[in-house]
Amino acid sequence: MIWLTWRQHRAQALATLIGIGAIGVLLLITGPRIASAFHELHACLVVPGQDCSLLRESFDQRFNGLGFLVPVFIVVPLLMGVFLGAPLIAREVEQGTHRLAWTQSVTRGRWALTKIGLVSAFTVAAAGLFAWMVSKWSWPLVAASDDRFGFGVFDLRGITPIAYAMFALALGTAVGALVRKTLPAMAITLGGFVAVRAVVELLLRPRYLPAQTISYSFLQESPRAGLGDWILRSRVFDPTGHFVSSNGNISVNPSVLAQACPGIPSTPGFGGKDEVGRCLTRLGVKIVDTYQPGSRYWLFQGIESAIFLLLAAGLVVLAMWLIRRRIS
Amino acid sequence: MNTTALEASSLSRRYGSTWALQDCSLSLPTARVIALVGPNGAGKTTLLHLATGLLQPTSGSIRVLGEVPGADPGILGRVGFVAQEMPLYRNFTVAEMLRFGAQLNPTWDQDLAVGRLESLSIPLAQKVGTLSGGQRGQVSLAIALAKRPELLLLDEPLASLDPLARRDFLAALMESVAEHGVSVVLSSHLVSDLERVCDHLVVLRNGRVAVAGDIAGLIRTHRLVSGPRHTGALGGVGEVIDRTDTDRQTVALVRTDGPILDPAWVVREVDLEEIVLGYLGAREGSSAPADPTLRAVRSAHSEVGS
Repeated sequence: MIWLTWRQHRAQALATLIGIGAIGVLLLITGPRIASAFHELHACLVVPGQDCSLLRESFDQRFNGLGFLVPVFIVVPLLMGVFLGAPLIAREVEQGTHRLAWTQSVTRGRWALTKIGLVSAFTVAAAGLFAWMVSKWSWPLVAASDDRFGFGVFDLRGITPIAYAMFALALGTAVGALVRKTLPAMAITLGGFVAVRAVVELLLRPRYLPAQTISYSFLQESPRAGLGDWILRSRVFDPTGHFVSSNGNISVNPSVLAQACPGIPSTPGFGGKDEVGRCLTRLGVKIVDTYQPGSRYWLFQGIESAIFLLLAAGLVVLAMWLIRRRIS
Repeated sequence: MNTTALEASSLSRRYGSTWALQDCSLSLPTARVIALVGPNGAGKTTLLHLATGLLQPTSGSIRVLGEVPGADPGILGRVGFVAQEMPLYRNFTVAEMLRFGAQLNPTWDQDLAVGRLESLSIPLAQKVGTLSGGQRGQVSLAIALAKRPELLLLDEPLASLDPLARRDFLAALMESVAEHGVSVVLSSHLVSDLERVCDHLVVLRNGRVAVAGDIAGLIRTHRLVSGPRHTGALGGVGEVIDRTDTDRQTVALVRTDGPILDPAWVVREVDLEEIVLGYLGAREGSSAPADPTLRAVRSAHSEVGS
């Protein structure tokens, strides 16, 4: 069975490895440059209180062009599922060879489990390699931006790409067993994967655990800056009603400010930043952040991976049931 | 050794609201070459798929070699199957197809498979997809035989073959039947091909068994009688299977144990094809008109036979 599975799927397996190899070469070329550029920025960031915004800006600008890689990387787990999973059962049924395979001295249950098991093992290894490469390569970029939870970051690093690939594989297998035609199965797998990923990304991930809030004074940096938090919302809270308009725009009217804090001149260019900040704090104007703490990163990675692995397990059960009971 | 190759009891299988096989009871002996005959849609493939365990019955039961088909590797290994269109992995080489068989069957006989294909000059290194239909048929047969089954089920193996390949295929089949004593069930909608090789007959019609039995016995007990046009029931000729009344003449296929003595009838012996056509064309009720599709099949058979 091991030889048979390899023989039937070696083309897809080789294509997958070539694709990951090509990505690997790209990462090896760009990686050292990113790392050395970050070295400089990092030297600034480790000094508390130092203003690194200029360095950060130039770093960001320099590597902004790599943004095109995000959509490329995002689809890698999906492609594995579409090209390995969807044809797994569908092509057999399409060509009638399931009747050949299922009438040898191996029950179709064992046949299917062996195939799914071997292809899954390959997928875990390939997706794991991919996720490890991307995680290592993108570390400086993530450290510079202090964003680990967003789209194109959380879902490209750590263990989530492995879970996505397993889900895509199981979805392709089950859909293939259901529709029994390779191309429609690929199309449905693609659509289904994107839909589930979008729902989890947009609706579930921010709610894995209750979000926390922190408030801090206007015109100051958040005391949680640099902790890698996932800021879900950042709002200005204004008990006076003078500074935040109904549409959310902030406009600090100097005359209002001067009235409240007599030390501040009422002309434009109204005093220093710290002075205005203290005044606003006294008036109760503050920023309220709703966030998921950065310390929850691996917990969230685990929860998201568990969701996709559970879905994958359910789909494998469905595929097995279809194979044993519904296909002849 | 079990003496029943296939035993079905009230076996039925439904697809949606259509009965592909209905209340089918059969007992097929081992060490025979059994022809499973009927027009397309009669339920031949359904019966064979039930016998391999590919399909589960809607109701009733089926046993092959005394066991539930497809239930475990044991019975799977004892039954060889060549599906319709003879599916093979087209991008495999012939040698890889044999490796497939060797890996999935503990009883695999590699020498038998290689020997067969070499004697037919089928190159082992060639891709299956580039073989001729006849060669693909021989590869399918070699794989089914090399697992050393006790019962071999073949679904329309001749349909995709040209007459020469058909003859070679049947010769190869007969050779291995003689050599290994394997029981064979062979489905076809062409009777003429089967006459030379089969010794047992099952005729399926509209998902039901129209007739089943030993071919020599069937030929012995059936007669074709003809005489002046009769309007009423035919008496003294045994059981009337099928009857055609023209303006001047009545011709009937009858089943009888003894001789037909009435001098009004011209009595003639029948061949296998006439028996099959008689059962396929038989009216199910006395007044119901015969199914037009069956009539069409019947005339197609007549053309093949002529």
